[in-house]
Amino acid sequence: MTVARSCETSQHLTASGPITYLASADADVPCRKGTCDTVTDHASLLQACASGDRSALKTLLDAEGGRMLGVARRMLRRQDLAEDATQESFVLIWRRAGQYDPQRGSARAWIYTILRNRCLTLLRNAGREELLDPAALETASDSATLETAYHRLDLTNDLRQCLETLEPDKRMAILSSYVLGYSHGEIAGRMGAPLGSVKAWVRRGLLKLRECLS
Amino acid sequence: MSERPLDERIDELVVGLADEAETEALEALCARDPAVAARVERARLRYGALDDTADTLEIPATLWTRIAGALDAPVETAARVRENVVDLSTVRRQATRWRATALSGVAAALLLAVMLGWVLMATPQPSVIAVLLDAGGAPVALVEGSVDNTTRVTLLERAQVPDDRVMQVWTKPDDDGPPVSLGLLAEGNSRTLSLPGFPPPHANQLYEITYEPLGGSPTNLPTGPIHGVGQAQAPVY
Repeated sequence: MTVARSCETSQHLTASGPITYLASADADVPCRKGTCDTVTDHASLLQACASGDRSALKTLLDAEGGRMLGVARRMLRRQDLAEDATQESFVLIWRRAGQYDPQRGSARAWIYTILRNRCLTLLRNAGREELLDPAALETASDSATLETAYHRLDLTNDLRQCLETLEPDKRMAILSSYVLGYSHGEIAGRMGAPLGSVKAWVRRGLLKLRECLS
Repeated sequence: MSERPLDERIDELVVGLADEAETEALEALCARDPAVAARVERARLRYGALDDTADTLEIPATLWTRIAGALDAPVETAARVRENVVDLSTVRRQATRWRATALSGVAAALLLAVMLGWVLMATPQPSVIAVLLDAGGAPVALVEGSVDNTTRVTLLERAQVPDDRVMQVWTKPDDDGPPVSLGLLAEGNSRTLSLPGFPPPHANQLYEITYEPLGGSPTNLPTGPIHGVGQAQAPVY
């Protein structure tokens, strides 16, 4: 049974026209387009979704859908599956919006967790090999995707700086699980190493990363 | 598995290396313990920078149509959940109507007494029984479900319900569907609850009691700490 805290406040819509939920100095107050910062206020949008405002979900799609599609495409590697995963995630976001609690964390992270879980479930259920056309199975293209992801991390980003301290193959193993959704078994398969030792080895990498990040 | 350091389990969850059972176990832990939830949130934020390294793709024009279509599609279980929401304004209107009739309080009380007696006598033998356990594994409630969807909840100890909370009983008629409210234990006492319109309870059906804001969960899904949880078994007669 999924148990999550609810948000107890809901956005009040004014009758004078559609409200765009954008971040302002006071993030709880929705503001009209042009009057405040153009950073999307994900938390307010989720609260509006919970109160049944479909335009809030559309705003969220416009603001975040392209990136979410990119994340899904990177993991699932097929445009049609990435679109399916994104669509299903938005339906879940709509249905679960009432369970999001701003006190407990970032709205954007909450949204991406739903997307990532959806992609991982698709990967695990279908089996990666079934999802892919043979051409996409090239390990070389996977490495390129991971290198790109790594190099796109801002040099000042803590994760980037800490990943840099790891041995390259540990770094790539951890990146392949987050970015490509590799399981322990897939990492072991690609490396040609026994599953048990790969698990222990990845855990040492995660530990080192955790110590560096904390 | 659970003897491993929690930080390691959280990291594996966040990077996507946790299997399904482990994911569920950790999610349950987060629901019970906000401190764990906060640690998971911290780990997610650390790795979240990697989501921003994905390409931003063009959103196909059809995507919104597909999403909106899926929102419109009937979700049977969700619809039934909504039907189960007690609309207080309706209840109040009914109460006013009661007062408007010539029925005296005594007559109403008598009627209620008769109805209560009838409900109690008519409750058939339970077809499933669940013992709900608290986080420490101690039994806190006995749930007996009948084919006519009456559910007898017997509390096995006086619950320490916070002043601003009420116990709410939940079940999952559909294992993969959302939890459905059976009702509140407003007085903090044992009660028989009725949930018409659902299939009869089955073995392994999940039952749960949570502490919700007064009046019941605002989202009609469990939001509060768990008092007890358990799976039903079919008794041997």
